[in-house]
Amino acid sequence: MSIQEIILKLEEFWSHNGCYIASGYDNEVGAGTMTPDTFFKVLGQKPWRAAYWQPSRRPDDGRYAENPNRVQKHNQFQVILKPVPENGQELYLNSLQFLGVEIRNHDIKFDEDNWASPSLGAWGVGWQVMCDGLEITQFTYFQQAGGIELSPNSLEITYGIERLGSFLEKKSNIYDLNWSNNVSYGELRTEEEKQFSVYNFETADIDMLRELYALYNKEATRLLELELYLPAFDYVLKCSHAFNILDARKAVSVAERTSFLASMRDLASQAAKLYIQKTEGKNG
Amino acid sequence: MAEFLFELGIEEVPVSYVKDIMGQLEKGFTESFTHQRIEYGAVETAMTNRRFLLFFNNISQVSESKSDLVKGPSRKIAYDEDQNPTKALEKFLEANNIEESDLEEIETKKGVYLGFTKVDKGDDTKSLLSELIPAILDKISFNKSMTWNNSGKSFVRPVRNLLAIFNGKTVSFQFAGVTSSDITFGHRLLSEEKVRISSFQDYCEQMSQNFVIFSEDERKNKILTEIKDLEDDLGFKVQLTDKMLEYYVFNNEYPVVFSGRFDEQYLDLPSEIISTFMINEKKLVPVYDSNEKLTNVFAGVSNVPDESEFVSKGNETVIRATFEDAKFFWDNDRNDDFEALRSGLKNVMFHKDLGTFHEKSIRIKEIAELLSELSGNHEQTKNIGIAAELCKNDLLTRMVGEFPSLQGIMGGLYLKEKGIDKDIWETVYYHYEPKGFVEDELESLNAGILSIGDKVDNIVGLISKGTKVSSSKDPYGIRRDTSGIIKIIIDFKLNFDLKSVIDFTINKFGVDESDKQEIFKVISSLFSARMEHFLKDLLFIDNDVVNSVIKSNTLFIYKIYLRAKAVFQVSESSSIHHLIEVHKRIRNIIKDSEIEAVSDTYLVEPEEKILFEIINETKLETEKLIMSNKYIEACSNFINMRPVVDNFFEKVLVMDKDKSIRKNRIGLLQKLNELLLQIADFSTLTEKD
Repeated sequence: MSIQEIILKLEEFWSHNGCYIASGYDNEVGAGTMTPDTFFKVLGQKPWRAAYWQPSRRPDDGRYAENPNRVQKHNQFQVILKPVPENGQELYLNSLQFLGVEIRNHDIKFDEDNWASPSLGAWGVGWQVMCDGLEITQFTYFQQAGGIELSPNSLEITYGIERLGSFLEKKSNIYDLNWSNNVSYGELRTEEEKQFSVYNFETADIDMLRELYALYNKEATRLLELELYLPAFDYVLKCSHAFNILDARKAVSVAERTSFLASMRDLASQAAKLYIQKTEGKNG
Repeated sequence: MAEFLFELGIEEVPVSYVKDIMGQLEKGFTESFTHQRIEYGAVETAMTNRRFLLFFNNISQVSESKSDLVKGPSRKIAYDEDQNPTKALEKFLEANNIEESDLEEIETKKGVYLGFTKVDKGDDTKSLLSELIPAILDKISFNKSMTWNNSGKSFVRPVRNLLAIFNGKTVSFQFAGVTSSDITFGHRLLSEEKVRISSFQDYCEQMSQNFVIFSEDERKNKILTEIKDLEDDLGFKVQLTDKMLEYYVFNNEYPVVFSGRFDEQYLDLPSEIISTFMINEKKLVPVYDSNEKLTNVFAGVSNVPDESEFVSKGNETVIRATFEDAKFFWDNDRNDDFEALRSGLKNVMFHKDLGTFHEKSIRIKEIAELLSELSGNHEQTKNIGIAAELCKNDLLTRMVGEFPSLQGIMGGLYLKEKGIDKDIWETVYYHYEPKGFVEDELESLNAGILSIGDKVDNIVGLISKGTKVSSSKDPYGIRRDTSGIIKIIIDFKLNFDLKSVIDFTINKFGVDESDKQEIFKVISSLFSARMEHFLKDLLFIDNDVVNSVIKSNTLFIYKIYLRAKAVFQVSESSSIHHLIEVHKRIRNIIKDSEIEAVSDTYLVEPEEKILFEIINETKLETEKLIMSNKYIEACSNFINMRPVVDNFFEKVLVMDKDKSIRKNRIGLLQKLNELLLQIADFSTLTEKD
């Protein structure tokens, strides 16, 4: 099954299960969790079901296209279900069956793995789903986002699309996967991975990134004062990406890391509070 | 009598919580039953990561009735002069919901009181259970819990099913939005249907049909048998630790052992890295050949049978990618200048009150060098100093960043790669070992010394900044560090008093002069407590023997250990009897006396003259024996003093009329007491049969 078929199938499955199929966010993010369709929508009372394919950037995971399954830009399929359905695990296993997995023949395990995002003030409890030893999905019950306790809770299911592809196609190297019937993952991505690995690890301009971080931070702060929480959040995401590249460049000291994370968390919390005020009234 | 079956069905609970939850559940049920006067026979429990089962096969249908006499006001207070009930009585009647006619008189020493017999009739167990079970579940506590639905209940993972059957009938209740029933579920992947249960026997049959081996012993045996089969097939040895076995037992409802192979090229990686990646990353276990060399075979446990080898092939693919990662870290770290990483430690905090790891490495160097000199390890002191300076550098490597459990080991391996002397890299490699008493002995004395230095720095630093340690609260592992130090000292027979090292270290933390003594006291009692635990619980030395040697103003750990062993050995012989008696007698005579000097002038009787002589002789002898750690010989010398001591007590009256003679004799016995105490307080020993 090609990568694009996996994405289409998952969209179809979750569409049938009441999800709105969103597009991936057009800003660099480290994970599907960081997009407004998850970050804001898990806040407050209103029910929400969304599913979307989200390319995600992790500069530190780049391997110059030399590692069979680590890349600095990977693809997630993000599902967010609010409130938490009673049969979330069954729904998830059904989605695997929909992709053609004979679950009786595979060692599928829900293995403890709690999730936390220090820059978003978010955390959850859950598992990584292992399939024959391969981590294919993160399954998390959200407890907090933007420093706010969530009620109702949301269930987040994040499929690693490359991982799913490796598993379904029994290929140990993701570059050997087919994206479509005509083009392979390798053809599409090798050069990109090489160039971005060089950039992230070797040539990214540290001084410029520090300046950008400061500017993005300032802009997010200004926008929050104007109660424009959506553009403000975009600038928090930009901060986060600049920080991630600095980190890959090993340019962040321990003390700095703490203060970077604290400032992003603070901005994200303010955005979350504004969202709740605007959408649910001050008491919401 | 009846049978009661309860099963809590839950989404996958982390393995580390499983036993604790079962314990809390069992305690919750049995305590509630006792409290409610519900009689029950034995209780059987079973657990997996998805279900917790309790079965009472002999439980009473009705709780026992009970009657209590409830005392109210005295008759004087209960009625006024006109014999009308007072407010006090009315309140008592109202509070207990009784009539005046229910009252009876109770005679007490203080006069007549009014009261009534409160009868608590037995209740139907099944209906009691409807109330008890939610309360029991409510009381379970977890290190980390979560909410998931609008019941707002907080639990370790979502509760999904509650099976409760009392003699074939469902016990009705609700918890966390789930309603109890007589229905449960089978294996997550191998069984699709929900199953209806009528009895425990039915449960056993249905579980077996639905691929759930609910007994943990049965799962454990299945795994061990299949591992054994695999070992026999290959002629290799599977390295299955207790921890991994437990993980497999609780993480699978239908465990099946599988194996696979990886490309031999990865065996070029250090075996420590291979096994750490396998175990921690992939929950697979390494396999060794008959020469104890790591092979390219691995084993694991699947939750489904692997007839079509999807599981083993899948894991083979995955492990390859994992080793690629390991290679990336290993190759990258090796390209760095490992020794130069040290300056980077200036940015890494050790503890907010204790500075950076760079500062720590400076302290450890000085402490370890002192320790090396005290251990008579002079020619290695320089190497230990170098190792101490480098031992924390690996905290900045990618490998340790990803796998903190490899700290120390990676430092050692990277130094080895750089061609650094074995006396140095091995010291770094093992310097976190041992992590408690029940670990293998270290082979390298250098590593032992650096390990003590690092641990002393932890203990003294943290305690001097006010960290409190108790058996339930020890976030920094101070007790484990203390045990590690004791173990190293004993394993390597390190013959020095740790007090000087502790004092030296206290001075490194800017402690007020006035607080130093108190801090030493805390540290010293910490060591005594761990030492006591070690001698009593791990060496099985009798309590009285340990107590007779443990009191000491020093921290001369090795000598305390030898004294305990010697006294223990001597205490097994019949000759100890006399020593105990004599020491008791002496302590009894001198107990309230001031310290007295002994002077030749007042030694009158020949028996006391001889005793004085022999005390002086034995004292010299004992000091020599203590110097050379010959404690059994020292005890024998004490025992050999018997005829002289016996003669003294037979012929000489200590409490002489002459004050000077009396004082002199008391002084004589004080000297003898002091001598014995050099080895042990024999007077506190109990005699064996």
